[in-house]
Amino acid sequence: MDLGLREKRAIITGATQGIGRKILEALIAEGCTVATCSRSPESVEAIIEQCSTRKAEVIGAACDVKDQEEYEAWIEDMVKQMDGVDIFIPNVSAGGGMDSEKNWWKSFEVDMLGTVRGCEAVIPHMKESGGGAITLISSSAAVETFAVPQAYNAMKAAVITYGKQLSQFVGVDNIRVNMVSPGPIEFPGGSWDMLKDTMPKWYAKIQRDHPTGRLGKPEEVAKAVVFLSSPAASWINGANLMIDGGFTKRVQF
Amino acid sequence: MSERSYKTVVRVKEPVSKGTPVEHVPLPELGHKLIPKERYTSEEFLELEWQTIWTKVWLLGGLERDVAEPGDYLCTEIGRESVIIVRGQDNKLRAFYNVCPHRGNRLVEPGMDQVDSFVCSYHGWEYGTNGRFVSIPDRELFPQGPPCAGLTEIPCDTWNNFVFFSLNPDVMSLAEYMAPIAGHFEPYHFDRMTVVRDLTVEWGCNWKTSVDAFNETYHVAATHPQLLWYLNDMDVQIDCYERHSRYLVPFGMVSPKIERVPEIPPPLKVMLSDAGLDPASYEGPIDGIRKAVQQHLREKAAEEGFDYSDLNDDQLTDDYNYLVFPNLTFNTHADHLMLFRHRPHATDPNQMYFDVWMLHYIVDEDELPEERPRHRHFTAADRKSLGMVIDQDGGNLPKVQQGMNSAAFQGLWLGDLEVRLRHFHKTIEDYIQEYGPEDALNE
Repeated sequence: MDLGLREKRAIITGATQGIGRKILEALIAEGCTVATCSRSPESVEAIIEQCSTRKAEVIGAACDVKDQEEYEAWIEDMVKQMDGVDIFIPNVSAGGGMDSEKNWWKSFEVDMLGTVRGCEAVIPHMKESGGGAITLISSSAAVETFAVPQAYNAMKAAVITYGKQLSQFVGVDNIRVNMVSPGPIEFPGGSWDMLKDTMPKWYAKIQRDHPTGRLGKPEEVAKAVVFLSSPAASWINGANLMIDGGFTKRVQF
Repeated sequence: MSERSYKTVVRVKEPVSKGTPVEHVPLPELGHKLIPKERYTSEEFLELEWQTIWTKVWLLGGLERDVAEPGDYLCTEIGRESVIIVRGQDNKLRAFYNVCPHRGNRLVEPGMDQVDSFVCSYHGWEYGTNGRFVSIPDRELFPQGPPCAGLTEIPCDTWNNFVFFSLNPDVMSLAEYMAPIAGHFEPYHFDRMTVVRDLTVEWGCNWKTSVDAFNETYHVAATHPQLLWYLNDMDVQIDCYERHSRYLVPFGMVSPKIERVPEIPPPLKVMLSDAGLDPASYEGPIDGIRKAVQQHLREKAAEEGFDYSDLNDDQLTDDYNYLVFPNLTFNTHADHLMLFRHRPHATDPNQMYFDVWMLHYIVDEDELPEERPRHRHFTAADRKSLGMVIDQDGGNLPKVQQGMNSAAFQGLWLGDLEVRLRHFHKTIEDYIQEYGPEDALNE
């Protein structure tokens, strides 16, 4: 099956590791040009060097998505460099935690506003070029109780509601908006890799709660995100795809 | 130690008070030879230790506060002996064998209490808190007189709010015994700390197997993987002083073995919160947490009533871990002390008693426990949890002991991070050479 991604132009925030990194690699493998950012210029340089191929190029610049001005300027710059944008994936997250109210502000600024501001910045360009695809990253923690009453879970739920609403709003411009809700995803240097050491009982419980007895891998999320973002998924719009190996237990009708 | 490629820890260069030095003492030449396993498994060696170590050194009896008032006593056991430490009506602390010189009965059970006198339960011989006879029932039945003046007294002294005794009547002074580290604990002011936990667990291993588990950080990665996200197990300052030793383990940072830290690890979040810093608001680098906690504690301590003025910044986060020879592990921290005493079984080299005292520096009176927690004793069968870290160590020990008894095992093959174990054995050898038979070390 040809996903139809050759020579498409994609923007993904935060792709130096984990799910974002695997999405970027998969897009590159499919022949997209991919623009990305990280707070550290060194990380951006590294990913450009490591992931660019002869057929597909990675571009990017350092950017803190929490800084509205910097973030919007970065998107404009990337769109300009690629001469347009077909795919947008706001992937950066402030992560979990219920240390203080500060967690709510951080989740709101990064997970929520990072998504909203990004969408609002790319949509005019997508309209101009006749359409596009936006894939938002939510979490299984948005649809079922998970861990603790933390900002992360609530903001990821808000992302789903926003995305569904947005899909109705921009559908007329041939822009599709979909959401994915990954379950716990493990990779070397990732949070679950750390929790395996620091909270072994909790980790083991989460492992057991998966029908297959293991956590997910970033590439297993990336493949679905790339598919949803591709022209091959042209009739999927406003969906929220669970990518959790059956971790969540609710029945979806 | 060979060169490693990781970043070295930034340490305090100058002590803030004359108490705890920060200077690294050059390691003595201790060689690389195998430590014979028989030291851990043979009854002969257990007896040799009794003759040359336990009956020669200073030993911890308990906390000075537990014998604060005249008539307060505590009773502690070491090997085949039982010892009473009691504060006399003259306010003087004395130590005695817990033995009635009449027929040998024990006068009291291990533990602590307050008494006017000690009365033997067998025939009623009575002793004052100064150890001297008060009365002997039907005295006229002993035309030959009493066997002695009273209980057999042994040396007793205090150090940093702990009471020590010795079974060696000719032992050097306690001050001389502790000399190289005598002042090291003073900045911690243990007298300000409150006992919050006091227990003994029986472990199926030699007492040295237990000492060893707290004397090196090489086992952290395999035994306590969670601690790799909390402390530096590789860049550890090791100092050996005559018979005692210490290592300084930097807390508040991740191990150089961790290649990538995705976010502030849960144990470091706890450290930040405990210090009064909000982990969610911490915007600095993860390798800046140790310094941030030190600075914050330094600034906030005084207004919260904690006096850290004699402690250096590293002491506010790090574990200054001391082995006070032969059997005390002091994990000293600014606001708490975790003290372990490793006691041998009287006859079985494969059994020991692990004593734990937890002391907390509490300034808020509302947080003080209503009464001193009573001592509790657990056997291995009780499966008592002592917290994740010690449970992980305690889980290893019986298996290590069983393996050491195997025909396949020759002895301990130690690396550079285990150099304190070598120094510990060097000290044991020194005592055996001084007090044992000439050929005792021809192992």
